[in-house]
Amino acid sequence: MILPIILLITASLLSLVFVYMAVTERDLLKAVVFSAGQSISYAILLQSMSTPDIVMTYVTVSVGLYSALILFVISKTERFEGGGREH
Amino acid sequence: MNTRILVLILLVVSALSVSIAASLLLDIPVPRGLKELAVYYVSNTIRDTGSPEAVAAIVWDYRGLDTIYETLVLYLAIVGGLAIFRVTLKTITKTPIGLTLFSKTSTKIISLLIATISAAITFHGHLTPGGGFPGGSALAVAAMLIIPVFSMYALLEKGVTSTKLVALRGFALTAIGLVALLPVVRGLEIVTNQKFYPTQILGIPVGGSISLYNIFESIAVASGFIAIALYLSIPEEAYKTGESSA
Repeated sequence: MILPIILLITASLLSLVFVYMAVTERDLLKAVVFSAGQSISYAILLQSMSTPDIVMTYVTVSVGLYSALILFVISKTERFEGGGREH
Repeated sequence: MNTRILVLILLVVSALSVSIAASLLLDIPVPRGLKELAVYYVSNTIRDTGSPEAVAAIVWDYRGLDTIYETLVLYLAIVGGLAIFRVTLKTITKTPIGLTLFSKTSTKIISLLIATISAAITFHGHLTPGGGFPGGSALAVAAMLIIPVFSMYALLEKGVTSTKLVALRGFALTAIGLVALLPVVRGLEIVTNQKFYPTQILGIPVGGSISLYNIFESIAVASGFIAIALYLSIPEEAYKTGESSA
């Protein structure tokens, strides 16, 4: 009973960290990786709430398809936010 | 950079303290059993729908018509996506170059594994968690791995073109519509499951129409997403010079 609660707390804090990193990152490729990390911690959250059906759809869409789609879009624009190199 | 870490630590600490304070101050009751509706689904799903998986049964049987309309929404969304990138350009073929041998070999292994898992999710969708949409999008992820590593032209050389994929998608969606409409021929309601489709074939439980819906939905989702990925990987120059191969 205690393990799911520890997983819940860890995964939700981890997702908060990943979201903050993704929002403040200027390198868009790194931001995609952080966003995928946030999705993985949400998947852990959903699994610890024992909803395997949602986990399957969530993992494939938000870690796989969403990241791939954003990578395709970044390849059509600039890698760094604001146009310049990261300082 | 330092302020970034400082703000991050502040965020984590405040999130922790707020949640601890909330759990101490507010006495939130923990659910100790199943609700009445959940009990109904758990005990009656297998009799009503022939599928032991309650979620698949709700999605494709109890609330079947909703899911048909949801599929229609996805169909229109992908039609919109294709309409934006639709180009009628001259066909050229380039030699596929791709990445190094290491990436190619590992991608071969990984995409085979993903395709196997996708098939397992789809074909067992009426027995275990999963179903058509997760299975199909897992297959699309495998293709989206192949496109950057082997280059788009490797897929095109194998005969996987957007036109064929869109046609396959149309076929799968038509099949979903037919599966939903066929019971009407015998005077039953639309999206009827157990009164029209068999519960098992040769002793294998198929859950009536649920497995059919899952298979066709996965084909439709996979081909739709792969077609979008192929259109997105057309290089920018192709739009300017008027030459493409997709």
